[in-house]
Amino acid sequence: MKILLLGMSHRTAPLELRERLAMGDPAQSLRDLVACEEIGEAVVFSTCNRFEVVAATGSPAAARQRLRAFLNRDLGADSGDLTEHVYEHTDGAAVRHVLRVASSLDSMVVGESQILGQTKDAWQRSVDCGASGPLLGRLFQHAFSTAKRVRTETKVGERPVSVARVAVDLAKQIFEDLAGKQALLVGAGEMIEASLEALRNAGLDAVRVANRTPERAVDLAARFAATAHGLDELPELLKRSDVVLTCLASPRPIVTPEVIGKSRRRGPLFVIDIGVPRNVDSSIGEIDDVYLYDIDDLSSVAEENSEKRRRETADAEAIVDEECGRFDGWLAALRAVPTIRELRENAETLRAAEVERALRRPEFDGASPEAIEQLTRAIVNKILHAPVSRLRREAESESDASCLEAARVLFALDDAAAGAEEE
Amino acid sequence: MSVQLHEWTAALYLLAGIAAWLGLALRSRQLERVSVLILGAGAVLNVAAFAMLHQLDPPPPLTDLPTAVSFTTCVGAVFFLILLGWSKLAGLTVLVAPVAFVSAFYAALEIPHAAAPVAEASAPWAHAHVMLASAGLACLGMSGMAGLLFLVEHRRIKAKRPLDFRFSLPSLEALDRVNRASVAVGFPLLTLGFVTGLLWVHAVYGTWIAGGRHEAWLALAWIVYAVLIGVRFALRQGARSAALSAVVAFGFLAFAVIGVGISS
Repeated sequence: MKILLLGMSHRTAPLELRERLAMGDPAQSLRDLVACEEIGEAVVFSTCNRFEVVAATGSPAAARQRLRAFLNRDLGADSGDLTEHVYEHTDGAAVRHVLRVASSLDSMVVGESQILGQTKDAWQRSVDCGASGPLLGRLFQHAFSTAKRVRTETKVGERPVSVARVAVDLAKQIFEDLAGKQALLVGAGEMIEASLEALRNAGLDAVRVANRTPERAVDLAARFAATAHGLDELPELLKRSDVVLTCLASPRPIVTPEVIGKSRRRGPLFVIDIGVPRNVDSSIGEIDDVYLYDIDDLSSVAEENSEKRRRETADAEAIVDEECGRFDGWLAALRAVPTIRELRENAETLRAAEVERALRRPEFDGASPEAIEQLTRAIVNKILHAPVSRLRREAESESDASCLEAARVLFALDDAAAGAEEE
Repeated sequence: MSVQLHEWTAALYLLAGIAAWLGLALRSRQLERVSVLILGAGAVLNVAAFAMLHQLDPPPPLTDLPTAVSFTTCVGAVFFLILLGWSKLAGLTVLVAPVAFVSAFYAALEIPHAAAPVAEASAPWAHAHVMLASAGLACLGMSGMAGLLFLVEHRRIKAKRPLDFRFSLPSLEALDRVNRASVAVGFPLLTLGFVTGLLWVHAVYGTWIAGGRHEAWLALAWIVYAVLIGVRFALRQGARSAALSAVVAFGFLAFAVIGVGISS
């Protein structure tokens, strides 16, 4: 069986094309794929940044054609469009690619954490559809453990690179525990939504959303179990807040020293202004207990972290190399499986025949058949242990197949197979 | 035996300091935890070393400077460990461990020390004074260290500088809490130390004021702390100015106790 991977990602295809390929539930496509004779197992991986099909196949050429047709036709893209955008990997390269994707080394934002969950979902979907099997099963389990190693043994995923995550990270340097702290989000756009999610994940439980049009605030607040308010309540809301995040289309600052001064209470106040033009008067940053960060401050930290993450990928790549080697070893060991199976079956046939013949002889009258069965099995297992272990080791080390061939000749496995076929 | 224990205590504090700084530089949570564990072991040994001073013949009085330093270090380390259970402060070990090392090392070098005996009639007041004042000094020292780290972190966050050490250092809020708690515990102890000091002077000289420079500076230090407490708790002083006050006030107190104390 060969492993074949075809797909396109943010590196090879523009957003418009990836949008056309993005599919909600690829269950039927998965079933169609494995129904084809040339594809034994398949996993379809679809996110906003990539669309990939991994297949295990006995006939790679036919499977390649089938998968290209799948990408071109079945998913509704015009044929010819995709050729230049599709990349293809087989065996070792495909394994490496899957391991790198799961470890977030091939992501647009290197080290981002969602990709592992998405890979697990893709794999689970394939299992649910009956499209997965032992080879891809092993590959994906290996990919998950590699991703875990990369995450725990390297610093690739350590530094936050999104504005929302940087804001949360900064808040943790100011406040001992975000649980119990109160946040005020001014605005109701996408950035506010992303930040709200990040703040919630960080443990902040009291969140208020204030917006010029309260309906939008109500909608957003309902989705994140927050409370919605109008902008007229701003001074009162500021009084109760520890973290303030603003992103509102406003020509003038809405949080000014006067507003803050009126509502100041004891304790630090962390203000994040991601609005353009700015929503917070920069002079409030001069107040002792007020820590003000604007979009440029956060972006520069995020960009710097992103660059540091990229520099730290060398360690992660080394782990992927090591794990690719392990998987290749396992894959190579599979070559020995038919020979080992035949060897054991052959030995078992001989053993069973000899035991049966022996038990018919008068010398064995009164002997326990179970004891003889047990004894002969133990002898056969002990005799086979050394050659079987050696065959596995040789296969894993990917040396030439002479050891396997020698075993087949010495134990007359091909003769036995021919005899069985004749019978 | 006590001398050896003091040496081992100093060695453990030194190790804790090295582990804490390495943890900070490498951003290693594990090293940070190791540093706290070593500091804890050092504190246990410190208690034993101080207790073993009574085995010396003759046992040094508490008024002896190395003995008082050993006691202060012991109280400071134990107080820090108590604070650790209350707040996320492991990163403060980078300051606490080196200071504890210097103090324990000094005690190890100087003990046994030829100390002037204390008059029997005034001994209880003398010992009470040293114990209370030393415990107060240790707590206020903790507030000074928390204040110092607060000022460094506050400056860094305000200046929006890269956040390389972000996982190891305590948050500003935690440092402010420690500062407040340490002053709240340390000031009453210092006050009691001051009162028992007066009683000691009275027992020895029959007057409340002996007129020494040490007394005058200590009285000034007490007034500084009294003002600091008033501003902090009654006038709702901000965290940064509270941190600055804690550093300055402790500097003043350290000068009054150690600087003037040694020279007079």
